[in-house]
Amino acid sequence: MYKPKAGALSVAGIASLAVLSACGTTGGGGPTSGGGGALGSCRGTITVATDLPLTGGDATDGPFPAYGAQLAVTQANDHHTLGGCRLKYVSKDDSSVAQNGHDPAQGAANITALAADSSVIGVVGPFNSSVALTEIPIASQNHLPLISPANTNPGLTQPGTNPAIDTNALYKGVHSYFRVIATDTDQAEILAYVATKELSATKAFLFDDQQTYGKGLRLLFQKFYTQDGGTVVGSPASLPSSTKTFSTQLGEASTDGAKLVFFGGTTGNGCGLVRGQMAAAGLTVPFLGGDGCEDTKFLTDAGANANGAEATSAPDVTKLASAATFYSDYAAAYSNLTAPYNDGKKEPYTAYGYDAMNILIKAIKAALINNHAKVPADIMTFRDDVITQLHSVSYDGAIGHTTFDTNGDTTNTGFTLYQVQSGAWATKETLAVDTSGNVSVKS
Amino acid sequence: MAPAGLVPRVRRPTGAGRAIPVLRGMYRWASGNFPAILLLVIALTVIGVFLQGQGHDQGLTLMGLQLRNALVLGAIYALVAIGYTMVYGIIELINFAHGDVFTASGFYAILIATLFGLNGLAAGGPGGLVLALLILFPVVMLMSGLTGMIIERVAYRRLRSSPRLAPLITAIGVSFFLEGFMLTRAGPDNVPTGRSAWITTHAFTFGGVSVSWKDIFVVAVALGLMFALGAFIRGTRLGKAMRSTAQDRDAALLCGININRTISVTFFIGSALAAAAAIVYTINLEFIQWNLGYRLGIIAFTAAVLGGIGNIVGAGLGGFLIGAIYVFGGQLVGGEWSEALIFAVLVIILTFRPVGLLGVEVTTRA
Repeated sequence: MYKPKAGALSVAGIASLAVLSACGTTGGGGPTSGGGGALGSCRGTITVATDLPLTGGDATDGPFPAYGAQLAVTQANDHHTLGGCRLKYVSKDDSSVAQNGHDPAQGAANITALAADSSVIGVVGPFNSSVALTEIPIASQNHLPLISPANTNPGLTQPGTNPAIDTNALYKGVHSYFRVIATDTDQAEILAYVATKELSATKAFLFDDQQTYGKGLRLLFQKFYTQDGGTVVGSPASLPSSTKTFSTQLGEASTDGAKLVFFGGTTGNGCGLVRGQMAAAGLTVPFLGGDGCEDTKFLTDAGANANGAEATSAPDVTKLASAATFYSDYAAAYSNLTAPYNDGKKEPYTAYGYDAMNILIKAIKAALINNHAKVPADIMTFRDDVITQLHSVSYDGAIGHTTFDTNGDTTNTGFTLYQVQSGAWATKETLAVDTSGNVSVKS
Repeated sequence: MAPAGLVPRVRRPTGAGRAIPVLRGMYRWASGNFPAILLLVIALTVIGVFLQGQGHDQGLTLMGLQLRNALVLGAIYALVAIGYTMVYGIIELINFAHGDVFTASGFYAILIATLFGLNGLAAGGPGGLVLALLILFPVVMLMSGLTGMIIERVAYRRLRSSPRLAPLITAIGVSFFLEGFMLTRAGPDNVPTGRSAWITTHAFTFGGVSVSWKDIFVVAVALGLMFALGAFIRGTRLGKAMRSTAQDRDAALLCGININRTISVTFFIGSALAAAAAIVYTINLEFIQWNLGYRLGIIAFTAAVLGGIGNIVGAGLGGFLIGAIYVFGGQLVGGEWSEALIFAVLVIILTFRPVGLLGVEVTTRA
């Protein structure tokens, strides 16, 4: 059972809770356990950090992966994963009052501070792609490993996939950025596979919500869909988020004989409304969307017409067998937190934060072993060693098997296809894409 | 000079014509505007052929479909625009809270429908539907009309003799108040109205263009209410009072017209029409959102300016024109340009014809 030291939890607030690192646990075996036999002679304290949005509008997102990462550190210390060396955990909040949530400027300031700290070896974060844009150049110049649990924008690592991002300009130094979540490129390839192979839709009409995520996903889908033999009818509709009536575009879709309507964007920007208005426009064809569409707001907005709509989203980690131990460990470690933070399953990225930190710890351990159980005197050398280890890391954790490709993107590319059945999202199947772009159904 | 729409233009029909004034009026309008109608038909055909050339296999069908969409959208804009134009015509105030009265009416409609179990009633069959509509329209229009009257009484009446800017700022304040109230009460998301089963049947298909009873209902409600409003303003004592107040408030007062009551009635009618627009909107699109009226109000206001602010016929015409610009602009140039096009047209109209299409110069009060 988890028992905090006296007074350790007396300070209220998420950020202060998250910086605790001295809590002891007596149960549960973390995936990083295995002792530090080779590192018995290791001496010193190594700092690892998270940079996630913890307050404001993001207070329901960021704290979960932060707690997950903190749990990984606590478990590593308990199991002496680094032998005689200890890990110290630091939590940074990239929210600002001005933005009422994640703020790229705050993220940049946090990473600058962490990079300047010669005990910091790596950071788990950020949560938002916009924050990653300001953090990656700083981390790259300072050789600071950055492992994101949640960034899906492909433009962060893959040149030419997002017209708004100059990918190569982000990496002014070394490529120190990694992510444990699959990108929208993977998602778009899977969506194109579903559209052409499973729904057999030869003609599609495309919508997007003009936003970085939505338009990016639509452009990628369009590319892979036409590669797979599909035809885009009419001109893709790129509409502002304030749009409420889609009759003009749906009319075009129906007269042009669309066999599929695709929406790249979020339900806040009309995904459910488009689905809801298809029937009135005489369109009885399938509807397909990305992870921005798969939520309860979609069901409300599409109303009675929601049934049959399909959307891909990140795999439901809470149902993975590999994550069962993690979730019970989390519940035991954080049972004294207020709801919802005492339940790791309330947010899909909790397990991603946990695995990202465990991967960082695994790379640190490998780097220490290579250096004969000594912490390198020069932090830059140490960071470079960890980056080298991250590029070749192979890790089985809560979210499955993770390795990184040359871009630092995960090869764990599974997405789950969901379908609305009787007014609720139901799991249909899980698909994955391999490094050569071939999509296959996993389950 | 008075805003033209509040002054009777058409003499009342006599004899047989009185029995079917609407048809007679339509005939007279159609014959009087025959060249314009012919031009419109030719323009639509040309656009259709153009679309066909653009790679749309069924350009003409698409054209017809978009014409239907334009009419449905335009009908809602027109109903909201009339509220703006009536208030402006009578007290020369741009009532920025009007769009939010529209939204509030949508929530009233949900409230009333839940209270009386109208959703179940309407789904029961044609009889139930008619009954549900007969309950929903008067009750919600009454509630909304009273809301409009209260807004006028509380926020505008005391400022009637203040500088023009004071009531304008107050109107924006009322708008913010209503939006904030609806946001806290109804939440930030779209609120479903559960009206999907109200009108579902398909009416007819003409040349590949399928028209549902819902489409016909929206346009019919708008046109019906507009004709009714026209008859009210032309034919009743209150209507006459409104016209004279619009022409010259002080002279109307001297003639013994109760100005306060007349202005209250104007707000009542304008808000009630917005309520009718909100009801058809919630039946047509099946949701309402706290800030929906803000943007819709701005567009409807544009329609009122386009038609000639203060002119009721102009507001109706402007509403349908804006609907057409929105839909056809979206089709031809791309949906992301729809709203930009509306305001571009507004700028052009105001540059070359500052009073709007049907407007007449309004002398500014000293």
